[in-house]
Amino acid sequence: MAEKTADKIKYRILRFLDVTGFTVFDPMVRLAFGEAPKKQLEAINKFFIVPIIFASSCVALWWVIAPQHKTKSGEVPTPDVVWQAALINDTFSQREQMKESDFVLSGELRTQALAEVEALIKVKTAELMRLDAKLVKHEAAHATQLQRKIEPLSAELSRLNAANRAARDAAKAEITKVAQKFEAGQPAEAELLAAIRNERKVSDRGRASESTVKQAIDAIRSEKYQAKEAARLDVNAVANELQFLNKRVDFLTTANRSLKVSEARQKLQSYQAGLAAAGSAKDAILEAKRVIRAEDSIERLKGQKYASAMTIYKQIQRSLFTVFIGFVLAAVIAIPIGILCGLNRIAMACLTPIISIFKPVSPVVWLLIFQIVVGAFFLDPASHPLFLFFDRLPWVGSLGINPALIFSACTVAMCAVWPALVNTALGVASIDPDHVNVARVLKLGFWNRLTKIIIPSALPLVFAGLRISLGVGWMVLIAAEALSSSDGLGKFVWDEYQNGSSFSFANILYACFVVGGIGFLLDRVMIILQRLVSFDGGGTSL
Amino acid sequence: MPFLEIKNVNVGFGTPDNRTEVLRNVNLSVKENEFVAIVGFSGSGKSTLIALLAGLLQPDSGQVLVGGQAVKEPSPRLGIMFQNYSLLPWLSVYENIALAVKQVFPKMKRAELDAHVKRYIGMVNLLPALDKKPGELSGGMRQRASLARTLSMQPEILLLDEPLSALDALTRGNIQDEIIRIWEQDRRTIVMITNDVDEAVLMADRIVPLTKGPEATLDQAFPVNLERPRNRTTLNTNPEFRSLRSRISRFMVALNDESKLSASQAAVDLPEIMPIDFSVYPNRPAKGRRRDRAPAIDRATTFFK
Repeated sequence: MAEKTADKIKYRILRFLDVTGFTVFDPMVRLAFGEAPKKQLEAINKFFIVPIIFASSCVALWWVIAPQHKTKSGEVPTPDVVWQAALINDTFSQREQMKESDFVLSGELRTQALAEVEALIKVKTAELMRLDAKLVKHEAAHATQLQRKIEPLSAELSRLNAANRAARDAAKAEITKVAQKFEAGQPAEAELLAAIRNERKVSDRGRASESTVKQAIDAIRSEKYQAKEAARLDVNAVANELQFLNKRVDFLTTANRSLKVSEARQKLQSYQAGLAAAGSAKDAILEAKRVIRAEDSIERLKGQKYASAMTIYKQIQRSLFTVFIGFVLAAVIAIPIGILCGLNRIAMACLTPIISIFKPVSPVVWLLIFQIVVGAFFLDPASHPLFLFFDRLPWVGSLGINPALIFSACTVAMCAVWPALVNTALGVASIDPDHVNVARVLKLGFWNRLTKIIIPSALPLVFAGLRISLGVGWMVLIAAEALSSSDGLGKFVWDEYQNGSSFSFANILYACFVVGGIGFLLDRVMIILQRLVSFDGGGTSL
Repeated sequence: MPFLEIKNVNVGFGTPDNRTEVLRNVNLSVKENEFVAIVGFSGSGKSTLIALLAGLLQPDSGQVLVGGQAVKEPSPRLGIMFQNYSLLPWLSVYENIALAVKQVFPKMKRAELDAHVKRYIGMVNLLPALDKKPGELSGGMRQRASLARTLSMQPEILLLDEPLSALDALTRGNIQDEIIRIWEQDRRTIVMITNDVDEAVLMADRIVPLTKGPEATLDQAFPVNLERPRNRTTLNTNPEFRSLRSRISRFMVALNDESKLSASQAAVDLPEIMPIDFSVYPNRPAKGRRRDRAPAIDRATTFFK
């Protein structure tokens, strides 16, 4: 009996893997349950180990090739640098969260946190001093090393300099000498030309020899002194953290919301006292106005939110939200129209030219069109009811919905609508004639025919279309965000490209993996949905 | 007065320049509660004929009458059971049948409907597979579900379009028995299409052969006067059954030969070659083993039979 439950669990897991399309792990599960170990190990070898080896060799290849290509924005980052970039982004977002929580802390918790931070600052300052000293030491060592290495070379350079100057002077003297022959009435054209050529040759040769030495010196100078670089990185990291801690102190003291509120309350109290003690009508009015203003400002301060910087995680959330809006928009448009096209050949004939012409249009063009057309609806985004509505929503409000997001979402919808539409139309049009006959024999009405026969039978293809749509939408979104400066992964990439810091290139590659990973997950989700609605147990593919 | 009547029906498909006349001058009349089997070769227009009866197809000329009224459109009165089951794959057996019942008896209450559906599922012995999807059923079970759906609509005429041709012999026998049993309990008019003469003789009151298409038509009917209930095992020794079966078979084979002969006469001449005789290979090489000349071919007897 026990074996039977184990089998049940096994089959449940296998079924789950099958539905989610992770059949790669199938042999591992079977192995864990002790089913034909030899066969499973073989399968794991073939379909798991070998692909992993292949992937690792690709990474290794990247590691080897990347540093060899020098670009204007530095070397192409190696995988470890990209990983570093990911960690830096992660730290950044953690720190933003920390600051945000500090901003709203109040009372006992605030003082406690402040004490902790201040203690930490002391520790870190000491560490920074220590590291600084280390850095100075390494810098000195580097300088002496440089000098030691360069000294013979610069001596050589000055020797060369002198020698070359002498040679050049000699050649010039020769020229003057030959030229004077003309004055003496014995023209020697060939001789003069040869002398000038010789002078040129001499000076070129001298310059060339000097420049090789100079290059050698430059090479030595640009050589990295590993210890110094490491020390500098350490110093930077700690200095960075200190800066962050000081910012935290700010948010726990002067910039803290509760402190600002209590400050405003004090002011209010003093105004209220002033109002109570007002002697003249004019004073009373003045004080009363002050009281009202102070009250207003307290209300405002209470509702104030931390203005968080855009971290990569926020960008991801915003991108996901944008693509979701665009995708839903696309589905809402595509499915009814697709059904109409599939049902009615006239509708199909009417829409075919529109579909054929607009399907290949680039997302960039759509974005510009939407910026102009849809932008006209949002002349004053700050007071537009749509954005006010979004701002009130719990999670969505924090994303900062703006017209740029709407344009991006519209662009996504415009590009994602086609695959869903075409597939829906195909699904409806290719309904099994036997099922149509069943509907005819049963005399199903239009609505029943639609809901009981047509939609269920078209559903697998509809979802296949939606899956393609979501993929297209996600791809288009990144470009749209970059172009429309709508916060999100696209803008993240664009900003990194524009600001050109030492980690920009690594950040772009990191974003590349993030975009790819999320795209993969979205596709998986759609595959699962597709599997759930398909009655024929349609297969999944990668 | 016949209950179901086909009068001078002609049907063809295709554009005028590429037209195939499938049925030509078809006449048939079926009495109420009669079981008629139509026997024909594949491609002779059997499915077209049943589609006509079901109202899924309108004749080019002529009329299909049920109870004296022309059939203009399909309806649950004319219960057709399709050759390939036509169950909706996204619905369970129960839901498939409930959909039909709900549509045909819209006034039925929920409990009544449930009982009705279950009664018909029980009739075809499918109660254990009530909640299974068609994809999870065997061919025989699917065909029984399809039968239950057709019966649950309580049609006046049951049209069976090769209901058993996709099944293996054992399952086929089972379902044949089931159809007969149900018919005997609850008599109604049945027109069954089949390509199996045994099946037709076993089940029907009357067998009507359909000649080879194109331009197929119904030929002289063979009445089956065997007593019911007919027992499959003892029937084989019944002289009447045997003579009837052989008469129909001979008739069908004759039809077939006729059409084959007419087809072969229209065909192009084949080159006079014979296959190489490999019977003694490899003792002697194939080369030179070719027969010098093929013997004259007796077209009517040897090659085209």
